[in-house]
Amino acid sequence: MLTRTTPTLSDGTPIEDLVRPATREVELRVLSDREIYELEMERVFGKTWLLLGHASEIPNAGDFVMRDMGNDSVIVARDRDGSIHVSLNVCPHRGMRVCLADAGNTPVHKCIYHGWAFKPNGEFVGSPVAEEKMHGEILPKSELGLRKARVHIYAGLIFATWNIEGPSFDEFLGDMKWYYDMIFNRTKGGWEVLGPPQRFIVNANWKAAGEQSAADGFHTLTLHRWLDEMFGNGGSELTSTMYGVEVGSEHGHALRCQSLSKKFARAKDFDNGSMSIEERWNILPAPGCTPEMLDEVRANLTPEQMEQLMTNPPQVGGMFPNVLLACIYAPQPDGRILGSMALHTYIPRGPDKLEFVNWVFCESGTSQEDRDVMLKNTIFMLGTSGLVEQDDSDTWPHMTLSARGTQGRKATMKYQAINANPPPKNWRGPGLVYDGFTKDDTQWNWWMYWRELMLSAD
Amino acid sequence: MSTDVAPALAPAELDQAAPRRIMIGSELYSRIVEAYYDEAETLDALRFAEWTEWLAKDVRYTCPQRLTRSLKDQDKSIDRRVMHFDENHGTLSARVRRLRGNSAFAEDPPSRTRRLITNIRITEADEPGAYAVRSYFLLTRSRFENANLALMSGERRDIVRDLGDRFELASREIILDQAVLGMPNLAIFL
Repeated sequence: MLTRTTPTLSDGTPIEDLVRPATREVELRVLSDREIYELEMERVFGKTWLLLGHASEIPNAGDFVMRDMGNDSVIVARDRDGSIHVSLNVCPHRGMRVCLADAGNTPVHKCIYHGWAFKPNGEFVGSPVAEEKMHGEILPKSELGLRKARVHIYAGLIFATWNIEGPSFDEFLGDMKWYYDMIFNRTKGGWEVLGPPQRFIVNANWKAAGEQSAADGFHTLTLHRWLDEMFGNGGSELTSTMYGVEVGSEHGHALRCQSLSKKFARAKDFDNGSMSIEERWNILPAPGCTPEMLDEVRANLTPEQMEQLMTNPPQVGGMFPNVLLACIYAPQPDGRILGSMALHTYIPRGPDKLEFVNWVFCESGTSQEDRDVMLKNTIFMLGTSGLVEQDDSDTWPHMTLSARGTQGRKATMKYQAINANPPPKNWRGPGLVYDGFTKDDTQWNWWMYWRELMLSAD
Repeated sequence: MSTDVAPALAPAELDQAAPRRIMIGSELYSRIVEAYYDEAETLDALRFAEWTEWLAKDVRYTCPQRLTRSLKDQDKSIDRRVMHFDENHGTLSARVRRLRGNSAFAEDPPSRTRRLITNIRITEADEPGAYAVRSYFLLTRSRFENANLALMSGERRDIVRDLGDRFELASREIILDQAVLGMPNLAIFL
C-alpha cells in the first residue's frame, strides 16, 4: 500500500500542488527541476514496471543486451535454462560496470577491473585467485551476486521492476490488459523484433515525451499536419481520424482506438452489424496482420476482442511511465494495407535529457517480403529519421527550455479538454472509456498517477 | 582517361582483380571531388530539389546502426537490420517534398549545417563507368540559439556513375561513429 505523506520540495512547494486537479493544470517546472527528477528516479522509476526489450533480442543461452531502468544500467541476459534475468550493471565489489557492450553472448559476465564473475542470472561465480579470498569471508557468496530486479515476460516483452514486493505486472496493467492483448497477444508466435533499437538523445525532460504517449490526439492535427498536406485531399482527413474511443486507466496507461469506419473508405460499413468478422478481416486485417492470420488471432482473442479489432482497434498510445506504442495501418501504393509496429522507451538522462529508444517489430508469421516493406515504412515514419517523429523530437526540447525560465517554470500545462460523453453503446472493453473526438482525459490520468507515485513514501 | 588509373593500394592478399584506384590529383579524381563539394553546398544551402537531381533513379541510400560490441565481435558493430535510413528515390523525394511544404517543423526554422567532406578515395566499381567513392564527413548542425554545434561524423561508402557531363549517386551507405546519436533526429540528409 502507498503511504500518503505530505512531502514538500526544498523551496516549500507541496508536491501535490504540482498537479492541480481542480483546474487540470501541471506546473511547468516539473520538466526542468533537478529535485523533482531525483525524486522520480526513486518513486516512479524505482517503483513501476519498466520495458527493457523483447525476448527475441536474446534468443540463445548466454545472449545479453545492456539496457536502462531509469538512470541505472542493467544487464538483460538469458540463462542456460532459457529464463531471462535482469541484473543491476554494477559490480558489487567496487562499482565498476560489469557489462560494457550493447549486446553479446557469454556464459559468464566478468568484471574487467578485479575479475569478479557472475552468471547470466546474476549469481556470483567467484573472484580470481580463489585461495587468496579477494571477496573475503564476511559475506557468503550468495550475497555477492549482482542485484537482481524482478522480471515479468509479457507476450515476449521483457519488463522489470525494483519494486520486489509491489503489484504484479497484471495488476500494473489492470483493465488495460484486455486492450494490450489485442496487440501483443493476438498470434501464437507473437511479435518478433526486427533488429536492435534505434537510439538517440533528445535534449528534453522524459515526461515531455511520456505524457504525449498517453494518447495525445490533438498534437497530430497541428504538429503533424504535413500528413494532410502530403497525403490528404485538402486538409480535413486528420480531423476525421480524431474520432474514436480513447481508453485509459488510473495507472496512466492509455490507447487511442480509432474508428475504422471513419478512417477508411473500405471500412465504412464495418460498424453497422451486417458484416461478419471474416468479411471485415479480409478487407482490412488488424494492422501488422495478414488475412491468413485470422484463425490464429481468433484462437487467441475473445469474440468481444475480435469485434473491437474490426470496429475500433487500439492503434497508438503508451504504457506508464515511459513507453510509446504504435501499431498502425500502413497503406501501400498497390492498395494493400500493411502495418507499422513499434515500441519506444524514453530513458531519463537528467532533468533536461532523454534517450529515445525505438524497437521495430512484426508478427513472427510475417513473410520476408512484407517484413521488408513494413520495416522500410516504419523507418520512414517513426524513430530517428521518421517523418512523423522528427517533429516531436524537435518540440520537446523547447518545452524543457521554457520550463527553465524563472517565469516560465511557473506557467502550467493545461489538460482542460474534458470528455463528457458516456461510453459508446455496446462497448465491450473495460477501463476508463472516452468516446468521441480526442480529449485530454487519458493524459490527465497519466499525470494523476505520476502525482500519486510522487506522493508515496520511498 | 587511362592516365587516371593506377593499381589500387590494396592489401597484398587481394589478387590482380582488386579494384583499380583513381589517383589523387588525376582529372577524373578532381571531377568526382568537385561533384562532392557541389553536393555538400546544395544540401547546406537547402536546395533539396536540386539535390534529388544528383540521385540516380535506382539509388539506394542507407544508414546502418552502430553498436558497441567487444573487439572480437567488431564484425557486428555495423548492424544493417533496423537502420536509421533505408531509402530509395521515391522515399528520398517524399522527404524533400515534405521539407518544401508548410509544416516540416523539425527543419522549420532550418538547421544551419556544414558538410565537411575529406579523405576521399576512389576506385573503379564493377559497373562500367561507375566508381566506388569512400569519404569521411563531419557534419555540423546549429539550431536556434544553442551555441553548441551538434556534430555527426562518419564515412560514406558510395557508388557514383559518370554520365559524361555530370555524375549521379547510385548508392550511399552512411557509416556513423555514434551508437547513440547526439542529435534528436535525422531530419537532414547525410
